[in-house]
Order: sequence, then C-alpha cells, then structure tokens
Amino acid sequence: MLSGFELDLPDTLVGVLDLIADGRGTPAVPLAGGTSLIVDMRARRTMPNAVVWLGKIPELRGIQVTQDHVRLGPCTTVSDILNSDELAGSGVSLVRAAEAFGGQMVRNAATVAGNIACNSPASDLVPPLMALDAEVILESRSGSRTVALDRYFTGYKEDVRRTDELITGISWKRQEESSVDLFHKLARRKGDAITVVGVAVNMAVSDGTCMRARIALGAVAPTVLRAKRAESMLEGETLTPGLIEAAARQATEEASPIDDVRASATYRRHGIQVLTARLLTQAWGRLT
Amino acid sequence: MTSETDMTHKTLALEVNGRVVETRVPAHRTLLDALRDLGYVEVKRGCEKGDCGACAVLVDGVALDSCLTLAWTVEGCSVTTVTGLGNRTEMHPLQEAFVEHGAIQCGYCTPGLIIAAHSMLSENPSPSEADIRNGLSGNLCRCTGYTKVFDAVAKAAGAMREAGETS
Amino acid sequence: MTDTIPTGKAVTRDALRQVGRPLVRTDAVGKAVGKTMYVGDHVMQGMLHARVLRSPIASARLTRLDVSKARALDRVACVLTADDLERPLIAVDIPGQTGRARLETDQQVLVRDRVRYHGEPLALIAAETVEIAEEAMRLIEFDLEPIPGVYNPEDALQPGAPIVQGTDNVVAAQKIVKGDIEKGFREADRIIENTFQTQFVEHAFLEPEVGLGWVDENNIINLRASTQVIENFRFIADAIGVPHNRVRVRASLVGGGFGGKEDVTMECYIALLVKHTGRPIRLEFTREDSLMGHGKRHPFTMTYRTGVKADGTITALEVRLIADAGAYVFLSPYVLLYAAIAAPGPYRVDNLLIDGRAVATNNMYTSAFRGFGAAQAAVAYEQQMDEIAMELGIDRIELRRRNYLRSGDTISSNYPIESAVWTEECVDRAWAALGEPTEATGHLRIGRGVAAYQQSYGRITYLHDTSQAWVGVEIDGSVTVRSGVTDIGAGQVSALGQIAAEVLGVDLDDVAIYNSDSAVTPLAGTTTATRALYMTGNAVKVAAEALRGRLIERAAKSLGVASDGIDIADGTVFAIDDPGISMPFHELVKLSAADGIHCSELAIFRAPFSDGLDPETGEGQVHPDYVFGAHAIEVAVDVETGEVSILKSVAAHDVGRAINPTAVEGQIEGGAAQGQGFALSEEMIYEEGRLITPSFSEYLIPTSMDVPKVESIILESGTGLGPFGAKGIGEPALTPVAPAIANAVTDAIGVRVKELPITPEKIVAALHAEPT
Ligand SMILES: Cc1cc2nc3c(=O)[nH]c(=O)nc-3n(C[C@H](O)[C@H](O)[C@H](O)COP(=O)(O)OP(=O)(O)OC[C@H]3O[C@@H](n4cnc5c(N)ncnc54)[C@H](O)[C@@H]3O)c2cc1C
Ligand code: FES
Ligand code: FES
Repeated sequence: MLSGFELDLPDTLVGVLDLIADGRGTPAVPLAGGTSLIVDMRARRTMPNAVVWLGKIPELRGIQVTQDHVRLGPCTTVSDILNSDELAGSGVSLVRAAEAFGGQMVRNAATVAGNIACNSPASDLVPPLMALDAEVILESRSGSRTVALDRYFTGYKEDVRRTDELITGISWKRQEESSVDLFHKLARRKGDAITVVGVAVNMAVSDGTCMRARIALGAVAPTVLRAKRAESMLEGETLTPGLIEAAARQATEEASPIDDVRASATYRRHGIQVLTARLLTQAWGRLT
Repeated sequence: MTSETDMTHKTLALEVNGRVVETRVPAHRTLLDALRDLGYVEVKRGCEKGDCGACAVLVDGVALDSCLTLAWTVEGCSVTTVTGLGNRTEMHPLQEAFVEHGAIQCGYCTPGLIIAAHSMLSENPSPSEADIRNGLSGNLCRCTGYTKVFDAVAKAAGAMREAGETS
Repeated sequence: MTDTIPTGKAVTRDALRQVGRPLVRTDAVGKAVGKTMYVGDHVMQGMLHARVLRSPIASARLTRLDVSKARALDRVACVLTADDLERPLIAVDIPGQTGRARLETDQQVLVRDRVRYHGEPLALIAAETVEIAEEAMRLIEFDLEPIPGVYNPEDALQPGAPIVQGTDNVVAAQKIVKGDIEKGFREADRIIENTFQTQFVEHAFLEPEVGLGWVDENNIINLRASTQVIENFRFIADAIGVPHNRVRVRASLVGGGFGGKEDVTMECYIALLVKHTGRPIRLEFTREDSLMGHGKRHPFTMTYRTGVKADGTITALEVRLIADAGAYVFLSPYVLLYAAIAAPGPYRVDNLLIDGRAVATNNMYTSAFRGFGAAQAAVAYEQQMDEIAMELGIDRIELRRRNYLRSGDTISSNYPIESAVWTEECVDRAWAALGEPTEATGHLRIGRGVAAYQQSYGRITYLHDTSQAWVGVEIDGSVTVRSGVTDIGAGQVSALGQIAAEVLGVDLDDVAIYNSDSAVTPLAGTTTATRALYMTGNAVKVAAEALRGRLIERAAKSLGVASDGIDIADGTVFAIDDPGISMPFHELVKLSAADGIHCSELAIFRAPFSDGLDPETGEGQVHPDYVFGAHAIEVAVDVETGEVSILKSVAAHDVGRAINPTAVEGQIEGGAAQGQGFALSEEMIYEEGRLITPSFSEYLIPTSMDVPKVESIILESGTGLGPFGAKGIGEPALTPVAPAIANAVTDAIGVRVKELPITPEKIVAALHAEPT
C-alpha cells in the first residue's frame, strides 16, 4: 500500500510550476504515468508529502514535427511514440525503443519526460534520444532553459534538474536524408523486461565518409551515456570492419557496467561490443 | 459520507461501466483498490507493480494497469472493466472467442488479457500475430502458454471488424 | 500386452458422446465475463485484515521481539507471536485420507528463537484495514543475531557444517538398486559421465495466496482458501488445537497452483487469528509475500554415469542425485523418491544404482511443483542421451529407439509397466512434425532437440490413495455431482461433469457440480500428482454407473425391453434396437423416485494399494502407472548475444484418453511455456539465503513475446487406469520441455550448458570457453 500524500490535479502549466516550487508548504513531486513513481512509492523508496499530477494539461502531450525540428511534449506516452506515423520517418530508433518498452499498459501510461526524469540507467527512450542529440527543455516559475540530454545526467540518480523545474519538452533536429538511427535492446526476456544492454546509433554519411556518428549506451553505467571517443574514431572516416570493431571495443571501455541480478559486467561489456558493431555495420551498410 | 474535500481525501464520482458511483477515497488510493472496494472484484490483483497486467482496465478506451493509477486521476473519465464489456447472455466478441477457443484456464489473468486485447484492437483493428503478441506482453498468464489466447484475439478481431465494432 | 500403434489423432471410441469432445468448459463463461468469484473476492461484515511479518535474513537467532507498539496502535485487533501460540508446530506432510503413518515434518508456525530461512514468519497482525495492519507491522521491533548458515547442499554435507535442524542435514535418502551395476559397467564399451544442474523455480501462479476465515453459527472455523488441498483442514485443526471436524475448508476455483498451493500457507495464520479474535479474518499475500511464502522447485545436482555398448545399448547406469531441500522438510522425501524412480527415464536399464539425498540448507524450503522431481530427472536423463549419441556418433533418435522401455519391461524399481508405452511413436511423430529445418542466417544458428519422459500419474501406491464422489439425479432430470476436488484451472471440475454426462446420457449443461468443501462434499483427495482426473474421474464414473444401472433397470420395466438393450442419450432413454421405444430421461427419474429407488450414489475409488519399497534395494511398486510422450523443439540461437528464440514446439503425448481434447491441448501449451521458463529464463536467486529476485520484474516467466505457438499431437492408447482409459497430462505436459530445449540449444551451438537456466550469458561464456 502507498502511504498518504496530498494530491493536486491542476489544469494549467503555471499551476504545476507553482506547486513544484513551494506548493502548499512542501514542494510537490510531479506525477506523470506513475509507472516509475508509484512503484517506488509502494516500495517506500520515496515518500513524497505532496504530489502533482500532470495528466490534466493536454498541451503537455503531443508530437510536433516541423520543417526541421521534432518536439515531444513531456507527457507524450510511449504508445504515442509507437503509434506515431511522423516519428516513423524522423526518429525510427525511438520508435524501436518504444516497441521494446514494457507491456502495453505500461506503454499507455509511461511518458517520455518520466523516462528521463526517473534517472534510470536502463531508461529505453534515452539512448535513442541522446543519439539524436535531443535537448531537454526545463521550465520553472523563474524561467526556462535548455539542456542537452547528453549533459542532463550527472551521476547515478542525479541530474541537473532543480526540483522546482519541470521538463516541458524534448526536441531534436530532424535528420537529413542520408542518415540512419538504430536501437537494439538486449534483455533477459523478449517481452516486458528491464534492459541489460541498450545501444542506439545515429550516423550520417556523405560521399562515402562518416560525417556524424553517435553511440549511446543504456544500462551499462550509472547513467545512460555517449561513447564519445568511439564516435570520434569514426567521424571523418570510411568505415571498415576493422574500424567498426575497434570503435565498438572503445565503446566498451567508456562504459562502467556492474554485476546485477540480470547480468554480469563481463556480459554487459560483451553486449556493448556486439551490438555496437552490429548497429554500426547496419547503419554504414544502409548509407553506402 | 461527507462531501468535504481537501488535498488528501475527497468524494469521487467515478464512471464505471457506464454507471456513476460515488466513493470517498484518499489521494493515495490506487484505482485497483478503489474499484475492488466498490465491488468491481473482476479487476484482479497480481503484483501491484505493473508486472502482470491482471488489474488492467480501460480508461477512456485505453488499457492501464489500475495498480499504478491513482483513483483521483480518472475522475471524469469512463472506466471499463471486463464485466462492462459483456455478460453471460451477451458476451463481447473477445469474451466469446476466449471461451470458444479454450483460452481460459484458471482465468485469473483473463479480465486483464481481454481488456488489453480490447485496447490494442481499438488502436489496430487488423493486427498481425506479432502485433497481438506485443499488445499482450504486459499480461502474464501462467496456465495457457498463450497459444489459444492468440487464436482467440485473432478470431475476435475478425468478428469485430465484421460487426464494424472496434471501440 | 502388445502395443497397437495409433494412426492418428482420432482413435475410434466405443460411441462416446460427451467424452472426447472439445467442449466449452463449465467454468469458462463466468471467467470470461468477470463473474467468477475467486477466494479473494469474498468479503465479510466486520472482517479484519491480516499481515505477516517475515524475517529479513536467512539464518539468525531472534533475541528480541517487541510487539507492544503494534498492539497499542489504534484499530489493531491482534498481534500474535510464537509465545502466544498454544501449539507451536504444524505438520507439513502429504495430507492423507487414510491415516497412515506420516513423516516427521512438523515445523514451527512462527519463529520462537531460530530463523532458518529468509521470509520465515515472526508475527501475525490483524487490524481494521490493510493500511493499519501494515503500519503495525512496521512498529514491531525485533533483533536478529545472525548465525552462520549453510547455503548449498555440498557445503551442508561437509563435516562440521552448520546444522539447519535436528542432528544432520540429510533430510531424506533414497537408494534404488537393480541388477548388477559392476557387471553392467564391465559389459560397457564406453562409460559416459556428466553432471547436470537445475535451479530454484517459482510456481508464479497469477493469484497470490489468499483466504478468508470466520467462526460460523455452529462454532466451526470456516476457511475459504486458494488451495489445491482442502484436506489440509486436518493439519490446520491440529495446529490450532481443535478437533478435525471443527475446521471447514472451501477452495472452489483457484487462480493457478502448479504444486505451489499444495502445502499449508496462509490457512493456518488465518485460523489462528480467527481463533484469537473471534472475528472474520482476510489475509491476502502480496506478490512479495507469495514469493517468500511457499516452497520452490528443488534444485537438483544430478550426476549420470552411463555404460553403453558401441551400438548404443545401455548396460549400466549409476545416478547420484542431490536436492536442496531448503530449511524445512515439507515434501522433499517424496520429491526425491519421484526423481529416483524417474532417473533412468523411459529407457530400459537392467543394471542400475540410484543414490539420492535431499539436503537441508538455509535457503527457501522446497516442495511440490508440477513434475515433482521427475521433471528435474528428465533434464538430466534426456541431456545424457544426447551426449551419449554424440560420443558414439549414433543418431539421437536411433539411440533412444535402441533403449526404449516397452510395455511389460520393469522400471527402475523393478516393477513392470502394464499400460501401453508409446514413447517411440510420440518421439517419431513430434520429431517429424518439426518439418523442414529453418535456414540459419547471419549470427543465428538453428538447432533441434527432442526429449521423451516417463511421468507417474496418481499418488504413491503405498499411501493408499482414495477418492470419493457423489452423483445424483433430480426429478427434472438434471444431474448433480458432489466432490471435494479443487479446480486449479485445468478444468478438473468440468471434466467430472463430462464424465457424469457421458454415463447418464445427458448434456454437460445438464450437470451441476458442487466441489471442494471439506465439510459437505465427499473428500476426493488433493488436486496434485496428476491424480484429479484419474482418481476422482473414476469415482464419478463408478457412482454414475451404479446410478445408471438402477435407472435402466426401472426403464426396462416401463419400456418392456431387457436392461442390456437400453441406452440413454440426449436426455432420452431408448431401446437400442428400436429407438422408437423410448421415454424422456426426466420421466424415468420421476418414476424411479416414486418407486423409492435411490436416485443418488456415493462412490469411493481406490487406487492400487501396495506396501512400501524394499528398504535395501528400493524394489517395489511406487505408482499406479505412468504416462509417456515427447516434446520436440527447434531453436534459433544468436551466437553473438546468446539470445535463444524458440521457433517450433511440438508435443506428442499418449494421454490414454482425452476426456476434453481442448483442455488437454491447454495443459500441453501451458506446460510448454512453463518448461521454457524453466529452461531459459526463470531462477529464484538466493544470496546467503536472501531472495534477490523478489518480484516479477526479476523473476521472469515467459510472456506473449517469448513463446512459440505449440502444436499438440494427442495420442490415445486407451490403456490408462483413469476413466475411459485416460492417463493424465497435467504434469507430463511440462516434463520433457526443458530438456528438449537444452538439447536444441546444444545442437545449435555445439556446446552444452549443463546448468539451467540456459541464459544468454551462459551461452556466450560456453561459446567462448570452447576452443574453435
Ligand atoms: C512493468 C514495468 C515495465 C517497465 N518497462 C520499462 C522499459 O521497458 N523501459 C524503460 O525505459 N522503462 C520501463 N519501465 C519504467 C517506467 O515505465 C519508465 O521509466 C517510464 O517512462 C516512466 O514514466 P512515467 O510517466 O510513468 O513517470 P512517473 O512514474 O510518473 O515519474 C517518474 C519520475 O519522473 C518525474 N517526472 C515525471 N514527469 C516529469 C516532468 N515532466 N518533469 C520533471 N519530472 C518529471 C517524477 O517526479 C518521477 O520522479 C517499466 C516500468 C514498469 C512498471
Ligand atoms: S496487479 Fe497491476 S500489473 Fe499486476
Ligand atoms: S489462465 Fe491462469 S494465469 Fe492465465
């Protein structure tokens, strides 16, 4: 059973920002799909005194695709992503991650901002978003700022968000034609399972040269992270199997996996190597 | 029952299976507990953390795990449980197909599976087997091995398309 | 007895009308429309809600337990600790109907001073709401002083190891000797030895344990409980100190069991709280409670040493079995016995030595689980067969064929099999049904495996098993069946209805079934051991036949036709030679009732009884009979990530007679999924006895994304001891699946992972260990 708290259900963004700033004495914790927060509250890992529900504000949910940007409202659900035709053209890796995410009911509730803000290294939407160079828009009563997702996490369960700030959007530049973004989730079971290794790759190629390489890794470090040294080995190069292998090996060095009930650090390293190489090979193959 | 409202307790008017019921519940009450306390015991408790799907209900046509949903957040929505879809004399095509195909053993997972299937079919009335599998992956069933469940959902999807009923 | 080789799914029956039809089960509609009341759906005026406080560590001395703050909390009705119990112990043996001697298995209900496993109950709380009960639970203060425990059987057998209980960590030993093992090994051209391991497995029924208890107007303690075994009322009565006839248990429809609801769990806690408060008590386990609150499948370490001739004939087999019994005995001795009996598998072995031990540790206790030891043995013997085939370079199926046990051969305990043994047919049919092999692409390797088995149905014969049923007809021609049998989801109740309908010539819809009430339905014994259909089905058949005989005799008088010329079908009684001479069934019942003919019958069915096994050799009868069959699997293994996908899954079982083919398929398909979890993903992990997989996000049973569609080939030899020649399928459906998968994975990757579950990680490690 959950222990008691105050609950507000405001229908404006301003209402939410007021409540998370100081609320009625205690700053309220935002509640979106509840698929992470309610579970944590039941396990008594967190016991907020005040909670504010974001679901009454329709503007916070939705996918906007403009000429050169894609923007997700914070309360866009995983199912929204999965069922979106627009994203199928400009964020395929994110759609793949949505497909491999939880089960239907969890996908119907879970939101993209919740996936980021719950700060789990195993958050599945984060690697593809990070590989797409997504930015997080944070708003508070005192203003708003934009943070690259890549700089959002600062340590295990730590991030740059102040408690009076709400994630109000996630956006990224639409990808050029000559680019590919891919995601693969390795887990102990095919349906509804926590990720053991998640790898997202985003690559742009021009004239047989890799112009942009992004490799983002999930569940292999205290936070989702980019393997930046591996990326820089590829940019400006013509990829060969040898180079891909070397970059994948470099990616394993940048991770710091642990042993847990799902897998050992050794297996996770192996998984990064295999999946990174596999996705890079696929991306290169499709673009050349 | 008082109608007094504060930020921790209030009287909700919940629309369940087309009927409005009033219930006074605290803010931290899950929809699962609220519904069961009201007698909607067809909503099953299997894990209380989103792992099993036994507690699934439709909220405005979309399947949610009621154990992860706070009761207050569905006020103004229409909530449907498996008993709201059909009854012994007039079963919903999904219920009929589950019965005919032998997709029910202990039956504890059945209300959640039917709700999840319903929600999936309203998004995608002509699912492939892969779509059906992905639509049901949040519903654990320990008895059937799912083979007959897939058949039942495919059959019901056909029947529902024919009847023009997808919602 | 010679085997007639079946030709297909349809074997001609002697004009059965209800039996053998894929009828819609009587319980299906209620479940589909959400109207079935499970135990947890019942509430009562004035009921209290209970919670169980459990030990957070596995091996400790309880030096302080202070419940005063919990008791003082407003709206807490009762907090019980070991000191409050008049009787500190409860028996956890197989509940017998016959009063034969039980094993010494009594265990503490609540911890008095020694904690032996993680989750062992320290205190019981009853309060006005669940929230208050949980708050009270948090107010209980206790000190646990850790003491060295022992966490695997190997350590537990070492001299000087901490003793879990009593004087010795060996809780059961089982030896079986047949022929001359030395001679057998001397005759062998090759000796092949392998050790296989299985893990702790959880039943993961979807309905957590739940019960509601109250005292009725006659001062009887009533319990509605989600249990497979209402006969546990006796243990509960003993534990709370009332006569057996003062506890009544009802189970009705249970949300899954698989052996996990065989032992007493919450019933005793509820009964104690009812007795102490005088008020109705509801106790529903959370999933975490459930995972910590009932026994698991025994992990086994199984060393097989097989002597074979160059042509593949087995000349000798030596098997060492070690099972982790966990902290308390429960059904370990029986599980070990089943594993020992099954150890050679469906193969003829004349020179045999089986030496098994069940060993106490401070892990979670282990007890019944679908397959009951025999499923673990199958994991070993079928992998060993593939290993032998590989070593000898003989085709895997051919090697099996050369060794199959045939009808009339003796099993391990030197007792002959009398029913049909269609192993060969089942293996061949399942294997053939895999069809054309799937092509390997990229990093995927394709592999195939098959496993056969021998699985008992019915209980141990020297426990003298019986089952009762009452069948009656009402004046309007409707039929009533009363029997204590519990329905745990497999359609046990519906099958009884079908049998009564068959014998009395009515429709399944005309039969009403009252079941699983220890006070008013005749006791039928447990719904375990693949015995419900065999035992209770026979009891119903015997009762219905006696009734039919009396009614037909009366019909003979009215119709002017000899009794043996009369049949009943579709609610009509008619002359077989001239169906025009007839009367409605309900008319016949009316006439019979008016004549004072007894229109109901109570029958008891007795399984074959035997004496115990020879203490030296383990020789003798253990089970009434056995089921034989096979499962074949095709897998794709990603050799880079180690992920396994099951592409094809085919089962072929001789079920004797399929009373309801749809229900049989359901058992097979569910067994296939459970076997897959056993083989690939499921594992309860205990670290120093502490459970680190406490929910369904760590303990991973297969989902809809993981399982293949299963093809079932149902064969019917008609030679079973059950009604209409039925054997059984509940447990057999599971038994061959895990070894078939293990064999398929090995076939795909060329190395064997000998420890279940075969995780991607183990596959990758095995591939990397192998020099290429
Ligand atoms: C059965 C199950 C399966 C799951 N499977 C997966 C999976 O496959 N992959 C995966 O990645 N995750 C999975 N999860 C975890 C969880 O579903 C996701 O992390 C989800 O995206 C969280 O979103 P939510 O909207 O439910 O967040 P909530 O639970 O509502 O909130 C999570 C956190 O984010 C904060 N928050 C929410 N919205 C905002 C906002 N706009 N601004 C600032 N803070 C905010 C909350 O305060 C809270 O701290 C699973 C969970 C369950 C129960
Ligand atoms: S009870 Fe809600 S998902 Fe299991
Ligand atoms: S039918 Fe028992 S869990 Fe699905």
